[in-house]
Amino acid sequence: MRRNWFRRFTGVRNRGINPQGFHVSQLKFYLLLLPLAVFMLLPIVFIFSSAFKPPDELYAYPPRFFVVNPTFKNFTDLFSKMSSSGVPVSRYLFNSVVITLVAVAASILVSSTAAYALSKKRFKLKQTLFAVNTVALMFVPIAVTIPRFLVIERLNLLDTFWVHILPGLAMPVGLFLLKQFMDSIPNEVIEAAQIDGASDVQIYWRIILPMIRPAIATIAILTFQAAWNNAETSALYVNTESLKTFAFYLSTLTTATTGANAVAGQGIAAAAALIMFLPNLIIFILLQSQVMSTMSHSGLK
Amino acid sequence: MKILRRNLVTLRLREALHGYGFIALWVVGFLFFTLFPLIETFHYSLNQVTVTAEGIRLDFVEWANYTRALFTDPNFIELVIGYAIETIVSVPIVLIFSMIIALFLNLKFRFKGLFRTIFFLPVIITSGPVIRELTAQGATVAPGIANTPAVAEFLTQLPRTLRNPVEYLLTSFILILWFSGVQILIYLSSLQKVDKSIYEAAAIDGASAWQTYWKITLPSLSTATLINAIYTIIALSHFSENKVIQYIYDQTYAVQGGIGYASAMAFLYFAVMILLLGIVYLFLAHQAKRERN
Repeated sequence: MRRNWFRRFTGVRNRGINPQGFHVSQLKFYLLLLPLAVFMLLPIVFIFSSAFKPPDELYAYPPRFFVVNPTFKNFTDLFSKMSSSGVPVSRYLFNSVVITLVAVAASILVSSTAAYALSKKRFKLKQTLFAVNTVALMFVPIAVTIPRFLVIERLNLLDTFWVHILPGLAMPVGLFLLKQFMDSIPNEVIEAAQIDGASDVQIYWRIILPMIRPAIATIAILTFQAAWNNAETSALYVNTESLKTFAFYLSTLTTATTGANAVAGQGIAAAAALIMFLPNLIIFILLQSQVMSTMSHSGLK
Repeated sequence: MKILRRNLVTLRLREALHGYGFIALWVVGFLFFTLFPLIETFHYSLNQVTVTAEGIRLDFVEWANYTRALFTDPNFIELVIGYAIETIVSVPIVLIFSMIIALFLNLKFRFKGLFRTIFFLPVIITSGPVIRELTAQGATVAPGIANTPAVAEFLTQLPRTLRNPVEYLLTSFILILWFSGVQILIYLSSLQKVDKSIYEAAAIDGASAWQTYWKITLPSLSTATLINAIYTIIALSHFSENKVIQYIYDQTYAVQGGIGYASAMAFLYFAVMILLLGIVYLFLAHQAKRERN
């Protein structure tokens, strides 16, 4: 019995012996995983519950986790602020949606093609490029804000739609993760395709991309968040109000109020955080099945 | 023979050209928006930078910004040391936690998919509005723990050098675990790539599960461990609530600080990060290499 437990623990899978459905012997997994899972869910529960908290609960000490008297006041405050602004909210939302969609698609294309080259092609600068990327990955992004501003200015991108999208395309984390995933695709698969007369583009599109779907979904979730939550670009590089993003708009609403009325500001911030967070959660739920399911039968051993 | 060789060369050249073709888009973006600004930042770090109405004025000051950060600034070094200790404490915890969870999630039981999803959730927690809201409300630390008499007593008994890491560990344990989403995924995917016949062979040879874990599972995860360690360090260092980053950011726009000084600090911080990565690499790369051979 003990041995069997260890064997399962260590990942030895004796196919056909394990029960397909629920069995009492699986109880121990739940005993360990359930509390941890609850614990992982807490932040989500927290963000939902704090958005509905009345001010006295937001400021309660010690902080209370669940909301006791849920109220929509935070949201009505937020919406009344929205309706009093000059540019309609839908404009910001539209900007954000378009920017996020384009940014996600384009950055997946850029980093996956680059990762394919770095992982499966042989050329001179390969090692250097990957090393440079890994080093760049480590550099603090905020320190390059001002030089980046100058580059953007020189490229005449200031105050345009593109400034939201272009700087984020060559995302070092994306390349790093995708390359690591591609490294584990056996070269034999690609050689077999080459023998069958597949071109590079075909190999990339028909073999590599389907095989690294979990990694791509992960990158998509990460880029989506980066693009959707990005308020900085609007603050730094964009002057025209109608080109700014929803994230920026919400951040102005919350910071403007914290100065004048800190108590109401906190509530509005909590409501805004929930509104900002919801798309992230939705994208996560949509894409996570890609991450989880394909990993197990992606044609690899 | 000669023809064959020439063919080989052109084939190789063609492959290289295709390689460059695939990576070209990325290189252009990288040069403009990452590498060039980075070099420019280094240039700034050697200057006193003043923003005037006409543009940016640079006065060359050699390494003065660096010496200021290292020897004069009372906050910077302390923050960086704090960061380094926190990272060294956090990385093994994240690695061990995510490995254990990945091992569990690789087993067969009901609702496995649901659990996998839940443990992947940190990916959307640690970035963006959630964590900002959580830290704003003080939910990432458990202040109560360090104040309970028994723990406080325990902490005062510890030697000074150990006290900070242990206290950090106790109060921020929750936060550390929320950094493990992608890591669990990487472990899971490399667990699934382990050849099952190796386990079968081991079982036939009478290896106990304990032995199997140490001799097969763990070594085959060593590459994943290295990747995860790098990823964890980077995630921790770029975390938006990271104190060093906030300090650098504040100094950029502070009167006594300035862009030059902030750039110098960013490079010093960068150097510390490289150092940490170097340590991790020394620990783990040896293992990873042995596995590959």
